[in-house]
Amino acid sequence: MNFRTLVAALAAASVIVMAGCGTRESSGKKLIAIITPSNDNPFFKAEAETAAAEARKLGYETSVNSHDDDAHKQDQLVDAAIAHGAVAIILDNAGADSSVTAVSKAKAAGIPSFLIDREINAKGVAAAQIVSNNYQGATIGAQEFVRLMGEKGDYVELVGRESDTNAGIRTRGFHDVLDKYDGLRLASRQSANWSQAEAYQKVETIIQGNRNIKGVIAGNDTMALGASAALKNAGLEKVIVVGFDGSPDAIASILSGGIKATVLQPAATIARLAVEQAHKFLTAGSTGMPEKQAIDCELVTPVNAGQFGLFGRK
Amino acid sequence: MSSMTPAAGGDVTRTVARGTGTPLAGYLFRLRALIVLAILVFIFTALSPAFLTPGNLTILVKHVAINAILAVGMTLVILSGGIDLSVGSIAGLAGIVAGGLIHSGLALPSFGVKVYFHTWLVIALALLVGAAAGAANGLLVSRLRVAPFIATLGSMYVARGAAMLMSNGATFANLSGSVELGNTGFLTLGSGQVLGLPLPIWLMLAVALSGVFLAERTPFGRRVYAIGGNERAAELSGVRVARNKFFVYVISGFCAALVGLIIAAQLGAAHPATGETFELNAIAAVVLGGTSLMGGRGSVGGTITGAFVIGVLADGLILLGVSEFWQIVIKGLVIVVAVILDQMQQRYALKAAAALRG
Repeated sequence: MNFRTLVAALAAASVIVMAGCGTRESSGKKLIAIITPSNDNPFFKAEAETAAAEARKLGYETSVNSHDDDAHKQDQLVDAAIAHGAVAIILDNAGADSSVTAVSKAKAAGIPSFLIDREINAKGVAAAQIVSNNYQGATIGAQEFVRLMGEKGDYVELVGRESDTNAGIRTRGFHDVLDKYDGLRLASRQSANWSQAEAYQKVETIIQGNRNIKGVIAGNDTMALGASAALKNAGLEKVIVVGFDGSPDAIASILSGGIKATVLQPAATIARLAVEQAHKFLTAGSTGMPEKQAIDCELVTPVNAGQFGLFGRK
Repeated sequence: MSSMTPAAGGDVTRTVARGTGTPLAGYLFRLRALIVLAILVFIFTALSPAFLTPGNLTILVKHVAINAILAVGMTLVILSGGIDLSVGSIAGLAGIVAGGLIHSGLALPSFGVKVYFHTWLVIALALLVGAAAGAANGLLVSRLRVAPFIATLGSMYVARGAAMLMSNGATFANLSGSVELGNTGFLTLGSGQVLGLPLPIWLMLAVALSGVFLAERTPFGRRVYAIGGNERAAELSGVRVARNKFFVYVISGFCAALVGLIIAAQLGAAHPATGETFELNAIAAVVLGGTSLMGGRGSVGGTITGAFVIGVLADGLILLGVSEFWQIVIKGLVIVVAVILDQMQQRYALKAAAALRG
């Protein structure tokens, strides 16, 4: 083996990786910068791709980048957007507090930001903040869970990354419904950090101490799918699993008799709305909408799962 | 210390434990990871009736297997004086390679066909990718003389990025394969049982025993200790340093790929972000097991004990329903205490060795 060829291949690979990080076509059109968390999550990928497609349809040039939930990297990407003369930024931000500065900086440079999926803790800085109504989604998910459980039995709750605002909002929504039923007992509550592998291991351990588990309610779909795999492996297929997000994998699982329900966040709809409002803002001077807009989530069950596509109705 | 006993740094503590008048303290230090493990088992058994049951212990060992397999490869790397930060990414990459081959086959655009491989071949290819990634690390470290921390940090990013590229960021779900394509059975790797024990446990046993054998009973193992103890001295005594270092990283990459396959098979899905921060858990197991981060001193057996300490702690705290934040804090404290004990042992060993020479 010749190590020089290997080194060359490695170098080539790293160039490809770097090139993949940012894509920008240049032409005389106005630029809309789209910045989202890592696209290894189909949710953010759908969001970024829908926004880019909608922007191109309206005649804009687009740049799509990921901040990987790193506020510092987000700051650099906003700087880059300003430097490239973007006319608007579509942003799924890297933290409710840590993103305020970046959005203010864009505003100071005369570039309106349209926030999607996650809010920031400041008003009047972004031109719009369009989020899915996580609280409403959590309550309809919990109501379906209660119905499936027959209003009684032991259940496990898997919480998302506890430093994430949405993890907190969802668990609050779950408990505002679940805690009204005396027959439901929370046997264990653990964070699985949104991760499938972590949910798998944690559920395996939890069922060792709680053999009577009747249901698992999870703060997102990947954790629900991890729980479902662990339960299946332990011969506990009958345990009810409910997720959150409406990811394509979860919908496929619902259709094949795996998890029982999920709550679909209309990520595609939100991304489209954000670009439409950006266009309106740029052409008419105002979005014509209040800054904060919450879009309702929808319950997905075996009955209606066939009607849903990539984070939206087909 | 390494200048005193260049080629056999690992033997100093052993000699001391045997040779001084008060060996008890020496033994206690050497067995500290086991003692910590015993204390943890005692505490969790007292606090949770579910802890010391066959069912829970099986699950626990299965969880430990993931970290232990990575940590065996990591031990060899660290013994040689290096570090491998890329194991988590390599695990993710191997999982994606296997997942992709089962899920959508290998597309050959020039022929316009997709080739699906038999499950065994898929597993072999994924392991090969892991070993090849390890070989790239090995070449960077041994031939191009890149510092191991930097070389493997780079390949950590390259491997992760490659995994993302291969799946376009998506998860390959439903890896049960199909009978027509002849690629069923992959999930057995994660959920299959032999003699009543899950397959991952047997794989860990095989890797651990091979690791102990390699390190303790082969010339290769002795050379790894020698290189980690004092690389220059090893080279002067005729050890082919570059070649041995190279293989250490290949083994680590292979172990990482095996872990990636097990996780993908357990979940029935391959996700490109699988294995993030696994390298830190593996390093923690190695350090807990008494292997010096400076290289040349430690053992594979100690690492396995270290992996069990971390695993028992993680699962025990979950059974008790302790919150995630406390779990992280407690894990960190145990690692710090273990390193303090390690430093105390080294000082003790040095003092005792000095006393021996009179």
